[in-house]
Amino acid sequence: MPTDPTRPIITIDHLSKRFGSLAVLRDVSLAVMPGEVVAVIGPSGSGKTTLLRCINLLEPFDAGEVRLDDAPIGYVVAPNGRRRRQPEREIAKARAAIGMAFQSFNLFPHMTVLRNVMVAPMRIKRVSRDAAHETAVRLLDRVGLSDKVDAYPRQLSGGQQQRVAIARALAMEPKVMLFDEVTSALDPELVGEVLAVLRQLAEAGMTMVIVTHEMQFARDVADRIVFMAEGSIVEQGPPQQIFNDPQSERLKAFLRRYREAYLL
Amino acid sequence: MPNVLIASLPYLLRGAIVTLELSAVCALLASAIGIIAALAQSYGGLVARGIALIYLYLMRGTPMLVMVFAAYYLLPYVGINVEPMTGGVLVVSLYYGAFMSEVFRAALASVPRGQWDAGRALGMHGRWLMGIVIVPQALRLAGPPFINTCIMLVKGTSLVSVIGLVELTLSGREVVERTLAPFQVFGGVALIYFVICYSLSLCGKALEARLPHAH
Repeated sequence: MPTDPTRPIITIDHLSKRFGSLAVLRDVSLAVMPGEVVAVIGPSGSGKTTLLRCINLLEPFDAGEVRLDDAPIGYVVAPNGRRRRQPEREIAKARAAIGMAFQSFNLFPHMTVLRNVMVAPMRIKRVSRDAAHETAVRLLDRVGLSDKVDAYPRQLSGGQQQRVAIARALAMEPKVMLFDEVTSALDPELVGEVLAVLRQLAEAGMTMVIVTHEMQFARDVADRIVFMAEGSIVEQGPPQQIFNDPQSERLKAFLRRYREAYLL
Repeated sequence: MPNVLIASLPYLLRGAIVTLELSAVCALLASAIGIIAALAQSYGGLVARGIALIYLYLMRGTPMLVMVFAAYYLLPYVGINVEPMTGGVLVVSLYYGAFMSEVFRAALASVPRGQWDAGRALGMHGRWLMGIVIVPQALRLAGPPFINTCIMLVKGTSLVSVIGLVELTLSGREVVERTLAPFQVFGGVALIYFVICYSLSLCGKALEARLPHAH
């Protein structure tokens, strides 16, 4: 289905999830428009990462709905009202249209950089080897790693690995990219090179949901900031409103602690 | 007296070849059984998992010698006559298949969760996810314990001598009966086992050095 620029690409409707007795997501609703860059911030344990992982069904959820281009993904409701998980094949199809980069990179260690980027388009999208190769080379060049195509992941720095991981996700030509704390595992001097890639993607019009602790970056790049605490969206809005004119006590306290910690 | 050993060497080596053949066939079968049982136990449905678990506990809970006797003396009661070679292959493969299963199950479980996430996020599932991402990494992790189990299997084949398969150990016993020189002959037998097992260890080392490390 082609993406309608006036309708959300990703719609999260009244999503709830529990781990045992702990409610990690409470009735979360969020719509992401095509080309929009949404940054999700909040304290550790607020459910940011879980929310992101629910979007592509890496985490199952208990209630609510996630839609990609208005088509529900993950669960179907039978005529008798029973909610049932879709067959894995269907879920996999939806995931192929949603790119994701992880905090711990998760490159395939037994493949070269080039192979990491080529393998999913070739095997899952059935793209020809030549086309996959061309795309991989172009994307690796775009993230500044054209000289590393034949390296194995363990030979790369964390920042380089993360850039390969982003190229790998982009090779599937996703409609939306999810970024799960992609700079949190990096040495401080390597954070910049990864954020530069994200910035470049945002400028190119990619729809992005970014879970991050990099406030300055979120403020610069995001169209909208979503602040989460204790499994709920507490406040959201344009960056200058969220950072300069926070409404809720929780967000004020969060920003205060953040500014104290970073002396901003 | 070492000429006793030299004189009996051709006979011992013929036994060693039987041991090698038996070991090779059993290692292949045990690996196949092990992979299937590991997959059944890790990702199978309730029935597959149940069958795999019963098999595992049965094999691990019974001495192999008892199973060798059982195959040879009990199966004929239910109308199945087994040759010593067939019985040997059957018992050794089934017995070490259980240990191979644990080798592969542990290796599958050692592939980090993030690898599953990454494969799934790219739209892989089922056989593709296993074939492209998980199994290749698991096989690398399985290398050292796999070689270890193969070595135990080679030595385990000596138990099949009790049902009359003339492999290395039984060859040794037959030579001793004729020469009355147990020290030299069993010394030779032990040496041949050692050479086989040590070569396996070296193969394992070479293999490990050649494969790019998984992590």
